[in-house]
Amino acid sequence: MQEATLLIVLVIALALFFDFTNGFHDTANAMATPIATGAMKPKVAVTLAAILNLVGAFLSTEVAKTISNGIIREGDSGILISPELIFAGLIGAIVWNMVTWLYGLPSSSSHALFGGLIGAAIVGFGVNAIDYGVLLSKVVFPALLAPVTAGIVAFAATKLAYSITRRYDGKPDGRSGFRYAQIFSSSLVALAHGTNDAQKTMGVITLALVTVGLQDSDHDGPQFWVIVVCAVAIALGTYMGGWRIIKTLGTGLTAVKPAQGFASETGTAATILASSHLGFALSTTQVASGSVIGSGLGRRGSKVRWGTAGRIGIGWLLTLPSAAVVGAIAAFIAHLGFWGVMVDAVLGLGFIIFIFLRSMKDEVGHHNVVSEVAASGEAVKIKKNPKPKRSVR
Amino acid sequence: MIDWAAFVIVFVAALSGTIVVVGLYALGLRLLVMGGRVPVVVPAEFTDAITVLTPAEIAAAEKKAAKAARKNPLTARQRQLATYCAYACFALCAAAVLFGIYLIVPALHGG
Repeated sequence: MQEATLLIVLVIALALFFDFTNGFHDTANAMATPIATGAMKPKVAVTLAAILNLVGAFLSTEVAKTISNGIIREGDSGILISPELIFAGLIGAIVWNMVTWLYGLPSSSSHALFGGLIGAAIVGFGVNAIDYGVLLSKVVFPALLAPVTAGIVAFAATKLAYSITRRYDGKPDGRSGFRYAQIFSSSLVALAHGTNDAQKTMGVITLALVTVGLQDSDHDGPQFWVIVVCAVAIALGTYMGGWRIIKTLGTGLTAVKPAQGFASETGTAATILASSHLGFALSTTQVASGSVIGSGLGRRGSKVRWGTAGRIGIGWLLTLPSAAVVGAIAAFIAHLGFWGVMVDAVLGLGFIIFIFLRSMKDEVGHHNVVSEVAASGEAVKIKKNPKPKRSVR
Repeated sequence: MIDWAAFVIVFVAALSGTIVVVGLYALGLRLLVMGGRVPVVVPAEFTDAITVLTPAEIAAAEKKAAKAARKNPLTARQRQLATYCAYACFALCAAAVLFGIYLIVPALHGG
């Protein structure tokens, strides 16, 4: 019994650590654009992002339900998932997240989490452990469709914003007024991030509580204290991650115009909020990247750099299987019983410390500070200042 | 098994929501400019991505905006109307955002 208690505490601690790294990793998603256009001072932007992530975590619990109650078959008809497996899955997710962070590979915290859990469940109970229908409809298809949706939406919004404010007579067009709007749109992105990403950790903790009988599986939403700790963890992560960004600001931000930034952020926020509401657990990073590319294409004289866009896409595709492999290995060790879990914990901790020390040694630069969202702006090439003409619309 | 309709809902909701919000704000800016109040918003902080503006350049931009406003072909009444319409657009835009948040928070409408 004591071992079970220790295990559940470990799972919760690990889940919260994951939540923290998620916030740490994703601050830039919400705040890179307003900082790049000068809509907000970085300090203000980061503080605002942290507060709104906290608020967002309380708004909706649909995504948490998807995770705690859908992908892995539990209960009478399915398997009895154990906290060891969740633990192994989390190790997989965190290890993959840290590796991609260190090497600046594009990835998604959410897919790493799913990958880890899926890998662990398959090792524990075979390929039938996963409800592939739910996996496809709530994770895989949203992952493929959401960035495209966000891209199209942001493209249309950028075109609209530019065409409404365009002036052919060379008089001031007032487009710098979009800077004010960006304060609100980037706040919405931070809020949306809280409604989707904080939920994932809540779902995992709820799942763990159900497995040890601390929560009834019929009661599918997360408990209140779980919501509170997850919200705090992600807000703290956002804030700390932001300070790192502030310190190294000015390294390689892609030029974004206020109108473009506003359109892409509104597209991101709308897509994430709509998806969260329907319980789709998607990657906020990928949605934001899709929006940035879409809005870049919405400007006149723009062209996609397919090489860069392709590299980003391949990184996304790799995330889920890679984390699944790490999760599977961790589950294999955890299967040896209590001591297996301890070995996992020690290995995982050792790895995290190793990565941390490595990252201290490395110069913090463009590759690991600037968000993938900002980097995906480089996938669109924009010619300098083509003059607007009435005939060309 | 796969609920394709849900994807369509997300797409339509995201597209219409964004178009309404961005469109209203852009329209508001356009009307504000028509009404003779050209907003000149200087970046809060200069990063690599922004060309650094000197105070002189900022003053020049403001002067240009003021000059454009003086040469406005609209009558004073029309200008005032445009300005009010601009404020109405901004208010509608804010209302649309708040309505969107209201829709997704179950606690606000008992569902």
